[in-house]
Amino acid sequence: MNHDEFEAIAALDAVGAATAEEARSLAAHAESCDACRRARDEYAEAATLLARGLEPVLPPAEVRERIAGISEPSNIAEAEYRFSTWWLATAATLFLALWGWREIGIRVARERIATQQAEIHGLSEEKNRLAAQNEKLASIAGADTRTIALAGQEMSPLASARVFLDPTRRRAIVFFYNLPSNPTDKSYQLWIIRGDQPNPQSAGVFDVTASGNASISIDNLPVMTEIRALAVTLEPRGGAEQPTEKKFYVMGGMS
Amino acid sequence: MTAAAMLQMDPSVTPSSLLPAVARGEISAFEDLYDRYSSTLYALLIRILGNCEDAQEVLQETFVKAWTSAKMFDAVRGSEVAWLISIARSRGIDRLRSRRIRSDREDEAGREISVVSGFVDRTSGADQAIQSEQRVAVRGALTELPDAQRQALELAYFEGLSQSEIAERLHEPLGTVKTRMQLGMKKLRDRLQAFR
Repeated sequence: MNHDEFEAIAALDAVGAATAEEARSLAAHAESCDACRRARDEYAEAATLLARGLEPVLPPAEVRERIAGISEPSNIAEAEYRFSTWWLATAATLFLALWGWREIGIRVARERIATQQAEIHGLSEEKNRLAAQNEKLASIAGADTRTIALAGQEMSPLASARVFLDPTRRRAIVFFYNLPSNPTDKSYQLWIIRGDQPNPQSAGVFDVTASGNASISIDNLPVMTEIRALAVTLEPRGGAEQPTEKKFYVMGGMS
Repeated sequence: MTAAAMLQMDPSVTPSSLLPAVARGEISAFEDLYDRYSSTLYALLIRILGNCEDAQEVLQETFVKAWTSAKMFDAVRGSEVAWLISIARSRGIDRLRSRRIRSDREDEAGREISVVSGFVDRTSGADQAIQSEQRVAVRGALTELPDAQRQALELAYFEGLSQSEIAERLHEPLGTVKTRMQLGMKKLRDRLQAFR
């Protein structure tokens, strides 16, 4: 994975939408990459703008009182000073010890629950990822799966692509071959050209390395409507809402 | 000149960071921290949990975490408010997932609580003016996002949905959803400098 791909993950991770595997790989990479660490931190800060735009709501006064109580052991120490009776001091100390022990216990338990919840969430994501892989394999090998060839266009005549269209699962998996590797400030973007909409619909972005090969999975494919064609353009890094280039790299009809 | 403009031109107007003092155990700084940010965090938690009782509990947990972990705050990595928001959001989403209360969301909770009497707003006048100006500016930045991008980001950020859950909810291809979120985040990141 290159820096741009890690940045793309950082953007998703900031809103909690990166998969567990993506989040792990980003965390490992950011340990040794200043640029990606900075990007991750900036995206994390940028995500908080979503919260900072909300209309503030004042919590009830008793919440403040409860929270202010978190830091009150020193008040008990002051009381200890005012009433210097030894037994009161002992009782206060004992109370503090018990109270502190209980608080620590509660915090440790909460932290443990939070960690376990995070682990459960991670395992659940891993399970989902494996299930998704199995689904993809099933899509390729399905009895109803159709195979469609896309041809290289003016920008890359030697390129080609093969689409495995699984209407039952509303999914298509596209494998690209012999595409030129994209510059670091650009991404390839796959477009669905639909019969019921005037503008193409983005089906996702992908990168092509020196091997010239890549693949992309399209989920929630609008199979109920007429899909006239699939086409690939080269767009600014991360993709665009609509194609900015009129020249296609790969294209083919779906009927 | 607006407070937001002053903020950008004069660093002395920026509210000073309270977390170093909180890390030293200064109770007054902790109380100031609460007064400065609690209403922002509470609004966020109500938006996530849709339930005032849960929001108050998680708000308390957030400030307990801030009190015990203030020394972990690193100003190089981000701002004080972003650090607190990250704690609150993370705990809010954990609570949302563990209690599975999504279906019980009270969409009007925010409006309801804002009219309950007995609140004492201790935020200083200067802080209020700065926060209010910043909020207007932040909303301006958010409204610049296309609706589809903002919707996808909000589903992830406030509802804790995964990429595939968002794609399912919006009936859109997963790739479309990822592209929208990445473009939206890129725009927010570009605008970030004005709010630091």
